[in-house]
Amino acid sequence: MNRVNVLVLAGYGLNCDYETAYTFELAGAAAKRVHINSLISGHVKLSDFNILVFTGGFGWGDDHGAGVVQAVKLGTKLGDKLLDFINKGNLVIGICNGFQAIVNMGLLPGFDNNYTKRSLALTFNDCGNFRDDWVHLKVNSLSPCIFTKGLDKIELPVRHGEGKFYSDESNIRMLVENNQVVIRYATPDGKPAQGKFPYNPNGSVQDIAGICDPSGRIFGLMPHPEAYNHFTNHPDWTRLKEQIKRLGENDSRQIPAGILIFKNAVDFMIGRSY
Amino acid sequence: MPHRLEIALKPEMFDAEGEGIRLKAKNYFGIEFTKVRTVSIITIESALTEEELNLVQTAIFTNPVTQISSFEPLPVDFDWIIWVGYKPGVKDNPGSTAVEAIEDVTGRYFNKDEVVYTSKRYCLKGRNLSHADIEKIALELLSNDIIQQTKIYSKNDWSDLEGIGYIIPKVLLDHVPTVSAISIKSDEILKEISDKRNLALNPNDIPAIRSYFLKKDVLAARALEGLSEPTDIELEYICQARSDHCNHNTFRGLFRYADLDTGYAETFDNLFKTCIEAPTLYLKEKKPWVVSVLWDNAGAGLFDENSYYVITGETHNSPSNMEAYGGAITGIVGVYRDPLGTGKGSKLIMGSYGFCTGHRDYNGPLMPHLHPRRLLDGVIEGVRDGGNKSGIPTPFGQVIFHDGYMGKCLVFVTALGIMPSKIKEEPAEQKETSPEDIIVVCGGRVGKDGIHGVTASSEVFSENTPAGHVQIGDPYTQKKMHDFLLEARDEGLIAFITDNGGGGFSSSIGESARYSNGCEVELDRVPLKYEGLDQWEIWVSESQERMTVAVKPKHIKRFLELSAKHAVESTEIGKYTGSGKLHIKYKNKTCAYVDMDLLSAGFPQWEFDAVWQPPLMRGLYEPVITEPEDCNKLLEDILSHPNICSKEWICRQYDHEVQGGSVIKPLVGKYRDLNSDAVVIRPVLGSNKGIAFSQAILPMYSKIDAYHMTCCTIDEAVRRLICVGGNMDHVAGVDNFCWPNIQHHPENNPDGKFKAAQLVRSCKALAKMCLSYEIPLLSGKDSMYVDGYLSGRYGESHKVSALETMQFSAVSVIDDINNCITMDCKIPGDLVYVLGETRNELGASEYYEHFSYTGLNVPEVFPDQFIKIYRALYKAIEKGLVASAHGVYRGGLGVHLAMVAMGGDLGLKADIGCVPATGVGRIDSILFSESAGRVIATVAPCNKNAFENIFKGLCFACIGGITEAKDFVLHGKKHGDIVSLPVDTLKKAWKQPFGGLI
Repeated sequence: MNRVNVLVLAGYGLNCDYETAYTFELAGAAAKRVHINSLISGHVKLSDFNILVFTGGFGWGDDHGAGVVQAVKLGTKLGDKLLDFINKGNLVIGICNGFQAIVNMGLLPGFDNNYTKRSLALTFNDCGNFRDDWVHLKVNSLSPCIFTKGLDKIELPVRHGEGKFYSDESNIRMLVENNQVVIRYATPDGKPAQGKFPYNPNGSVQDIAGICDPSGRIFGLMPHPEAYNHFTNHPDWTRLKEQIKRLGENDSRQIPAGILIFKNAVDFMIGRSY
Repeated sequence: MPHRLEIALKPEMFDAEGEGIRLKAKNYFGIEFTKVRTVSIITIESALTEEELNLVQTAIFTNPVTQISSFEPLPVDFDWIIWVGYKPGVKDNPGSTAVEAIEDVTGRYFNKDEVVYTSKRYCLKGRNLSHADIEKIALELLSNDIIQQTKIYSKNDWSDLEGIGYIIPKVLLDHVPTVSAISIKSDEILKEISDKRNLALNPNDIPAIRSYFLKKDVLAARALEGLSEPTDIELEYICQARSDHCNHNTFRGLFRYADLDTGYAETFDNLFKTCIEAPTLYLKEKKPWVVSVLWDNAGAGLFDENSYYVITGETHNSPSNMEAYGGAITGIVGVYRDPLGTGKGSKLIMGSYGFCTGHRDYNGPLMPHLHPRRLLDGVIEGVRDGGNKSGIPTPFGQVIFHDGYMGKCLVFVTALGIMPSKIKEEPAEQKETSPEDIIVVCGGRVGKDGIHGVTASSEVFSENTPAGHVQIGDPYTQKKMHDFLLEARDEGLIAFITDNGGGGFSSSIGESARYSNGCEVELDRVPLKYEGLDQWEIWVSESQERMTVAVKPKHIKRFLELSAKHAVESTEIGKYTGSGKLHIKYKNKTCAYVDMDLLSAGFPQWEFDAVWQPPLMRGLYEPVITEPEDCNKLLEDILSHPNICSKEWICRQYDHEVQGGSVIKPLVGKYRDLNSDAVVIRPVLGSNKGIAFSQAILPMYSKIDAYHMTCCTIDEAVRRLICVGGNMDHVAGVDNFCWPNIQHHPENNPDGKFKAAQLVRSCKALAKMCLSYEIPLLSGKDSMYVDGYLSGRYGESHKVSALETMQFSAVSVIDDINNCITMDCKIPGDLVYVLGETRNELGASEYYEHFSYTGLNVPEVFPDQFIKIYRALYKAIEKGLVASAHGVYRGGLGVHLAMVAMGGDLGLKADIGCVPATGVGRIDSILFSESAGRVIATVAPCNKNAFENIFKGLCFACIGGITEAKDFVLHGKKHGDIVSLPVDTLKKAWKQPFGGLI
């Protein structure tokens, strides 16, 4: 395989398509922003791609539950092609509004290989409002998730009004037991937020910020990896820069976590083709 | 038979919206509910089959995990129920997306009589609630009677079977569109008609209008088209174009200025030309980075060789004052159409807000239509939804509280965009219409909403202001259109583009047709929301989310194809011509036929007397206060002033990260809770260049002199940029004037001549500042008449005028974002410097306001001194010598030193005797004087010499250092410790007033 091809959904009020495509390019992929209708009409073929991204934004204005109308539209018009795409071993990531969409489509949690059952919800934040803030996240190292391999503690921004992860107890237990819970909201030292605001910004059950399907190839999360594509995205960067300078060290900047998450996916697809 | 679906969260789910209402009811009105649950209602007026109904119920409207729903009323426990729905004709955004979703799922397409309406009912539980309590909650918290209707049910009123019944807020006009001829027999008759039709026509324009239509050649040409007297649509066209909002008659007026003290007199012919246009044209020659100014929807500056940034700022005061949410969302979504309509189209990259309202806790006798608290809640939410749902970051904003804004609030909205410098080898910033180009309207449909918005904002707000012009912006429809138009632009399909805002087609087509010199419009082709609009209504309606585009015939097919792909409605409604005529037809019959140059000549200039009484002559004086002894308490109290304290709750509601280019965020510091001086974004993701942006609003200084208000506002905006790393060599500005009525009237506006003099002085200051700081004004707007009449306690009403206000926006291009810095101190041991001079300038300060004084010594700006310091600071930042920089703004040095310490969550110890000062010996003056031009910088000890070398010869001093111990200590030689407080105590005081809000 020469390049890993990434399809980034766009249109109908989605809005993180540019930076998502950009960050995938930084991670080594060839990324294309594709209007939902181009995919439905067949002008663009899903089968030409290796990674499908359900992007953040406000699909259909989020008027009837975040991600609901997008899920209905794609489920109705693309259902089989999507399942085909997944069955072929490709990767899917849903970010924020995209997470909401794939949960509503039933791509997650994917228990028992069922990718159409809607059993989880992302509902209104307990704080009662849209919130933009950076959060600390603790990665579950036992999770099969392809996207978070090798990551432990990361920071990313959340920006949503409906990000409270919710399901009934048995589903939550299954997610936990299967290690499908990939990332959790945490305190700065990496301990579970235990529901405490603002570390857990929305009241998510068990601090769940992102989950994957049992195979680890479908990943959904509320925080935005694509918004951490540069050192200067981090809220502490001016402070870090000054500290690094005082220590007399060379500017040893780490690769932003957002790029690392996407790079894991790209590397996986490259590895798979050999 | 309509269908009514009720949806609620499962009983065991937490209802965050309901809980928010419960808290507000308690905190705002002292009305205690034990529980509030919300039920969403979808009323479907369409003949769906049972099977289809089940499908939409389960697939779209009910989340099986969290929700329950039923086509019968849901049994939710209550003591009272309040139902809230829209009035007929009000934009129901969720209703529209519901139609789209139902069509998708069922494959059945709605005809024009099939509609979905959304509404809500609130189930309230609580003891001892009276009908009056519930009515208060219904009218003052949950609805606004301008756009919504409500119903209240007690337990006895409610029927479990009937529920709310079937409420269909359909617009049924049952009216045959008619063009009427308007009599111009005499000036008086035309004046009478103008008043009756709410045209807000200036009486002075009437003779010019009549003489045009009575011209022989005009009569002859019109006769050939079957017209004689002017039609209503023609008069509406003239009125819209001549309105102060569109034509800026005030700024283009003749001002007879006189200074009563010195006897100095001067006549200003056209403040726009002399004070805004002239300096900007002069600077355009000098600054090669100025790309496009003074003609388009927004001005453009050079970002890099491949791209230009564009910027403009607007206000949406009158509509927000009546319907805060609707007004503000329409404002922000509306201003986003300006960059989209600049050049051949620009991508939106950023927005900002400025809100000026009465005090949130106002409990005086005046009764505004919306209480300031509610109004502020509404405008915050409006800008939130408008910005967030557009996918455009909103990283900067300010809020000013003052009782003068109770008459009319101010809602400033600013937008930045970016365009490639070339599109298909053509300059992207240029555009024109040519004969045979097709006129295409894209986006939303036209309804009665928004008729006479422009003329209403040219009037003082009163009980008779038509409510019909309040709209609710639809960011979803616009976002689709934005994405579509950028793709069409990149394919080279757009010859000309402009937005439909104030004045609707009347201004978008009227103005774009000037390039080709004519147009022929077929109004009957315009897509409508509902039938029955008169021709003139279609022409002037300000229905939102529409752009007018000129497309060459060879491109039209592709243009419409792309439009369909993006699910955007685009319609050909006519063509541009070279006929010299504005020609409007309806079903092939001419209803308007006037010369394109009708508006350019013959109309009289507005005239104003501007009489200046200097502050001393007005009886202003410095108050007599002795030096305060308890500066700890004083500082805490000033930090918790509403205009100083933390407003984090607003910033966090706004997405400031979307588009992935956030560099300096609105909230910075160790705990990310201090306001940044300015924000920086990286609009081209692959480039290390950035755009720094800031704004300032300092209306309090207008109490003394609007000249200095203006100088200080501009200085502050610029200084904010410099503090994050902005460059004096590239600062562009946008002025937004909001002024009370300046036309003298002995009874209604007795101080009109003074307010006119304030405007003249402000404009003079603007010109002076722009020339000395070398700031071309890339854009600017004025909104006059920020006055209102408020009812009092005894059935009387009071005219309330806002302070003379100007918001100034400043933008700079950063060469390397890696050099940017923030305002928070970073490392213990760092030195604290004050750059610039502190003077005895407490006039109209926060300190004086604390004691209800105004004072006299208003801060002044000394550009020559200040520029040197700003340039030196830029150099020091670029060399990496500065750990933090923060301007000294409202509140003075004490307040802003505290901000620096709070930001770093470290201690600060300083000797205020070392603060460079002139004519200041007192503690209170040093701590709270609001002298302009000052910056606090922290510097690593190892950089001391290098830093000081750069500032050699300038006014600056090292006054102390940053400490590990988190104490804030200010001392002086003769006074000992003047302030000594834990930083946490300061922060608590600063966060306390609005800390409970989320």
